Amino acid sequence: MIEVRDLVKVFDTRGQVVRAVDNVSTQVARGEVLVVIGPSGSGKSTFLRCLNGLEAFDAGSVSIDGVDLADPRTDINAYRREVGMVFQHFNLFPHMTVLENLCLAQKVVRKRGKAEREDKARALLAKVGIAQKAAEYPSRLSGGQQQRVAIARALCMEPKVMLFDEPTSALDPEMVGEVLDVMKTLALEGMTMVCVTHEMGFAREVADRVLFFDHGKLLEDAPPAQFFDAPRDPRAQAFLRQVL
Amino acid sequence: MIKKKRLLWPWHLLTGLILVGLAIALWYSTSLISYEWRWNRVPQYFAYHAEEAQRAADYGRVESIDADGSRARLVLSAESGGQQVVEVDRDSLQVAVGDDVSEGDSLGVTRHWAAGPLLWGLWTTLWISMASGALGLLIGLATGLCRLSPNPTLRDLSTVYVELVRGTPLLVQIFIFYFFIGTVLNLSREFAGVAALALFTGAYVAEIVRAGVQSIARGQDEAARSLGLNAAQSMRHVVLPQAFKRVLPPLAGQFISLVKDTSLVSVIAITELTKSGREAITTSFSTFEIWFCVAALYLVINLPLSHLAGRLERRLGQSD
Repeated sequence: MIEVRDLVKVFDTRGQVVRAVDNVSTQVARGEVLVVIGPSGSGKSTFLRCLNGLEAFDAGSVSIDGVDLADPRTDINAYRREVGMVFQHFNLFPHMTVLENLCLAQKVVRKRGKAEREDKARALLAKVGIAQKAAEYPSRLSGGQQQRVAIARALCMEPKVMLFDEPTSALDPEMVGEVLDVMKTLALEGMTMVCVTHEMGFAREVADRVLFFDHGKLLEDAPPAQFFDAPRDPRAQAFLRQVL
Repeated sequence: MIKKKRLLWPWHLLTGLILVGLAIALWYSTSLISYEWRWNRVPQYFAYHAEEAQRAADYGRVESIDADGSRARLVLSAESGGQQVVEVDRDSLQVAVGDDVSEGDSLGVTRHWAAGPLLWGLWTTLWISMASGALGLLIGLATGLCRLSPNPTLRDLSTVYVELVRGTPLLVQIFIFYFFIGTVLNLSREFAGVAALALFTGAYVAEIVRAGVQSIARGQDEAARSLGLNAAQSMRHVVLPQAFKRVLPPLAGQFISLVKDTSLVSVIAITELTKSGREAITTSFSTFEIWFCVAALYLVINLPLSHLAGRLERRLGQSD
């Protein structure tokens, strides 16, 4: 479903060249859950952002369902409709209520009628467990609630793939669980997911495969049981010793 | 430190006393220069009872006069056979029944209230401010977005515009617009004045808009784009509404400045508030009174404007 081939992303700031994503190739099958882990600055977030074109890459190719992001004829906006993304800092639109947050893209991009988009939004809010907050502004919500709204907002577009960029890193510890629960439900329903996270428990429990990044390189690609119990790469071994 | 509850009214009282003291000092100092305050001369410059003379249209005779309250209806028969019916104020009647009248003879006057020069000036200042403010906002919005455009030509052109306008005095721009561009393109003085003010305001609004858009976190645009909105939709629905809320205070300041800057178009003989004031002084010699009135009239525009901006700010602040 997702096909990444020889992806290269170089940051060149004031003469300092960083190969943030260095020749990464992988593929994700429909319904598969990938968890991407690695130390900070290892390029895992950049890799994720390349998957929906938020970051323009320097070489290689990324395609979802055969639509190639590197092809200049590809309509990037049409491509992104099919790829949901959840950010570390939620990035809810603060000037809109929760319901309006969920309805904006449905209205502007999908051109859905008012009744249809609001029904869809309320159904998804109920699904993530905050139906009663539809009329609130995001600033009145806790971090965990905001992140669940963000997940619902992405789901409104009925994406084929969901990308999660450290969705629990900005949350208070007691709120991490509620967000992970929503993600687990999504995984069980067969959503194709790529998650950058530091939640090793989630990775072990939900992931089909674990990708380990360091210095922009994909160093290990293994099922969670094998990765956590017997990592082959020495840097992965060192990393796991530190976090577990 | 424990927060102490302070009484506020003594301080407000002190403020009041200081203001009253200043007013007394002002009054005292004018009494030293033996200036005679003549406020009674001022109202006529706001509104006055205008008289319009009614005249006979032809040689003829006054046939009848019917009183009708404070009005009088005259019927004149002309030598050529026609008939003329005129209404005048009764107490100004200058003819009686049976009088012969010649063409152009005054029969009486009608009176009505008319706006004086200060009110006309206020109106001119108002519409010039509104026209140039609306235009300036549009120009500023477009230019501000051009300043942020990925297209280098748009970026360069908008930068040149902003720097040229910000770097030259408004007075000089008005002269250039009226004497140079106005002559070349045959513009009216009002058009030249409004255009100069709009372009001047536009440059400042552009910088305000640019700063506002840049102050919105990049994640907002990224979130909108990741949902499939294109750049224009993201700007329109996500970034600009938030930016607008943030730049409302400087924007209000800019419009208040604009209202005051309209006084400069008096140099190209547009009779707005300041020029009306100067004209009122030439006939009344009440220099102090008129200038105080002119200042008060500018406040009449600007105080509600800043009040409105404050209310809008609070309403947009609902989501915080």
